[in-house]
Amino acid sequence: MTILYDEQQQAIADEAGRILAARTSGERLKQLLETTGAHDEAFWETCKEQGWTGIGIPEEDGGIGLGLIELGLVAEAIGAVAAGAPFLGTGFGAAQAILAHGDAETRAAWLPKLASGEAIGAIAFAEGADMIPAAPALRLTNGRLSGVKPAVAGGASADVAIVLASGEHGPVLALVALKQDGVSAQAFETFDNSRCTADLTFDGADAVTLGAADAAQAALDILSLQAVVTAHEQVGGASKMMNTARDYALTRQAFGQVIGGFQSVKHRIAEDYVLVELARANALQAAASQGTEAFARNAAAARLSATEAYDTVSRDSTQVHGGIGVTWESDLHLHQRRARSLAIEQGPTPFWEDILVDLLAGEPA
Amino acid sequence: MSPEIEAYRDTARTWVESQIAEFGRDARKGLSEADDLALGRRWQAAKQAAGYSAISWPKDHGGQGLTLLHRLAFEQEEIKHGFPNDYFGVSLGMPVPIVLRHQPGDWTRARAEAALRGDEIWCQLFSEPSGGSDLAGLRTSAKLDEASGDWIVNGQKLWTTWAQYSDYGVIVVRTDPSAQKHKGLTYFWVDMKAPGVTVRPVRLAEGRSEVNEVFFDDVRIPDSQRLGAVGGGFGVAMETLTIERYQATDPAGFGPPLQLFIDETKATQIKGKPAIEDGRVRERIARTYAMQSAMAAIYQRTLLSLAAGLQPGPEGAVHKLVSVRARQKLSEYAMDLQGVNGLRYDEELSRKESWAKSWMTAPTGRIAGGADEMLLNTIAEKILGLPQDHRPDKGVPFNQIPR
Repeated sequence: MTILYDEQQQAIADEAGRILAARTSGERLKQLLETTGAHDEAFWETCKEQGWTGIGIPEEDGGIGLGLIELGLVAEAIGAVAAGAPFLGTGFGAAQAILAHGDAETRAAWLPKLASGEAIGAIAFAEGADMIPAAPALRLTNGRLSGVKPAVAGGASADVAIVLASGEHGPVLALVALKQDGVSAQAFETFDNSRCTADLTFDGADAVTLGAADAAQAALDILSLQAVVTAHEQVGGASKMMNTARDYALTRQAFGQVIGGFQSVKHRIAEDYVLVELARANALQAAASQGTEAFARNAAAARLSATEAYDTVSRDSTQVHGGIGVTWESDLHLHQRRARSLAIEQGPTPFWEDILVDLLAGEPA
Repeated sequence: MSPEIEAYRDTARTWVESQIAEFGRDARKGLSEADDLALGRRWQAAKQAAGYSAISWPKDHGGQGLTLLHRLAFEQEEIKHGFPNDYFGVSLGMPVPIVLRHQPGDWTRARAEAALRGDEIWCQLFSEPSGGSDLAGLRTSAKLDEASGDWIVNGQKLWTTWAQYSDYGVIVVRTDPSAQKHKGLTYFWVDMKAPGVTVRPVRLAEGRSEVNEVFFDDVRIPDSQRLGAVGGGFGVAMETLTIERYQATDPAGFGPPLQLFIDETKATQIKGKPAIEDGRVRERIARTYAMQSAMAAIYQRTLLSLAAGLQPGPEGAVHKLVSVRARQKLSEYAMDLQGVNGLRYDEELSRKESWAKSWMTAPTGRIAGGADEMLLNTIAEKILGLPQDHRPDKGVPFNQIPR
């Protein structure tokens, strides 16, 4: 199922777009590129001030109790400006894990803080190429975590993480406060530094086991929810890059006419429009089907379309711009970088292809 | 969707399903085209009798007076079962409605009723050897015979669907070669049995002949058969093409459903393992599903917009472009997966059942009704506001355009 946005939803989208455009600066984003583990404070303050941090959290837990559709609209606006922090998405994932599997104490301890943005959340399931390892190297023994979760988006700044670890009887989901002895976050250089990606090393850190009976499935369910938010962010970025290419093609002159008059250019941009609209349709359909039987399928499809769209359109947009497109000054590389970081975080294309085919074929991988 | 539409759909589904035995895909197997056409006429009459023809036409045109959403709901049910409605899609879709609109009256009303019963068929004589994508480049001429007031038509039309079975047609011709190309055209209806009309089926690569070339040798058309002003033919042609703007769509591009591919890859082996475990196959399935699911969602949003009385977004323009070329590639791949068995070709199977038939007919799908390249131009120009191509014939009298 899908929907048409209602007036309130449209207003959220318009407002988010307006505020972010006014408060985002390409210069600041480029400064962040040259710093490891730092994020755009002004952006994160905006997320808190606007209440975006609480969108996916129920009112009784301190949030504002809206859903994926609304969060998706904000994420789309965030994607359009390639905003300088990943915490809205990572915190949403952490909150959803707590909502689904946390006890009352855990909910009370973390959800209001995540809703207000006072705490930054992160998800740490993957180990290398394995997004949901069947036997994680990270171990949880007697409530103590030991081992490493590599390359955690938002990990450099997060206050709390949901990890997939090996317990005494197989994989478990656990919640771990990161600002404690026994946890170190090692931020490292990436091509998109404001993602605050870090290796998390645990040495006997206190952790709370979440009550997920099937931890691998629970992890996938959380990734699916996050995937829909990310898909919207990717659509926002892709759409922005398509419009940037269109605008440039309407002004740049060569061979006596604007370059948008050449079919090699205009058809490239038209193909990009197709990819953006397919991705947009899938993202919205996934958001609108939250809680239904079709959700997992729709989320995977949304992620695949969105990754294809953002990668392709950011690549094409640079190409349409010619030499100017590859300069530091042009800012196009901000989206080229973001397209790739979003493509990888929370599961790259081959991962989601396998998830989707397993769902369609009705058999496990 | 509204409860009213859903209730209508449920009733329609029940009726449609009761007709499968007599008219469905299996009932058509092995029929000659003449017998299939006869069955098609009976199917059309059955729909008319049951109140399922011309669903969204006004009642005073012989329609049911319901909405576009009712029609689309019925079509979505009808499309599932391979009924013999091919012969009437053009006829009832465009020519008959445009004539009803421009020349209402008893005669037209009688023609419409005959067409709705399947007794008569209309064709649309637009494309020509020199005017397909560039419709306004057409050269078939009509000269006014001052003495009788009739128009004398000479020239050739091409790709005219079902002209070989048509009783009437609508035609665009050049009445003023000294005017700019879009401005020298005029629109008529024509009796396909009139002296001087010759229809020759064109056999397509796949072997079938639903399209024709139609020759006009001094064919006389009374001025009373003119639709719109002299010189206003291009506008009427565009009006004709927008009548059927929203139709039931198929995310599989009118080829086999993805589920058939999935089922086959479970049953086929690559290096001793089910093909569906092969990464290349899985990528195809996942990407195709994502694309088709998006197309279905876009269509659903179009319906929701229509139901809400809103103008649907322009994204519906991507359907044909995306779905048919994807079908073409997937069909090739599905044939590959069958190994040497992929060489077999069963003429009896439809393009929705057979990958080989789907592959063989896909090129037609990517050209007819708007070639991929034209659709990309439409998206670029109409949606994105990019410039038109350089057109050396722009503003030039037709008879001075180099040829």
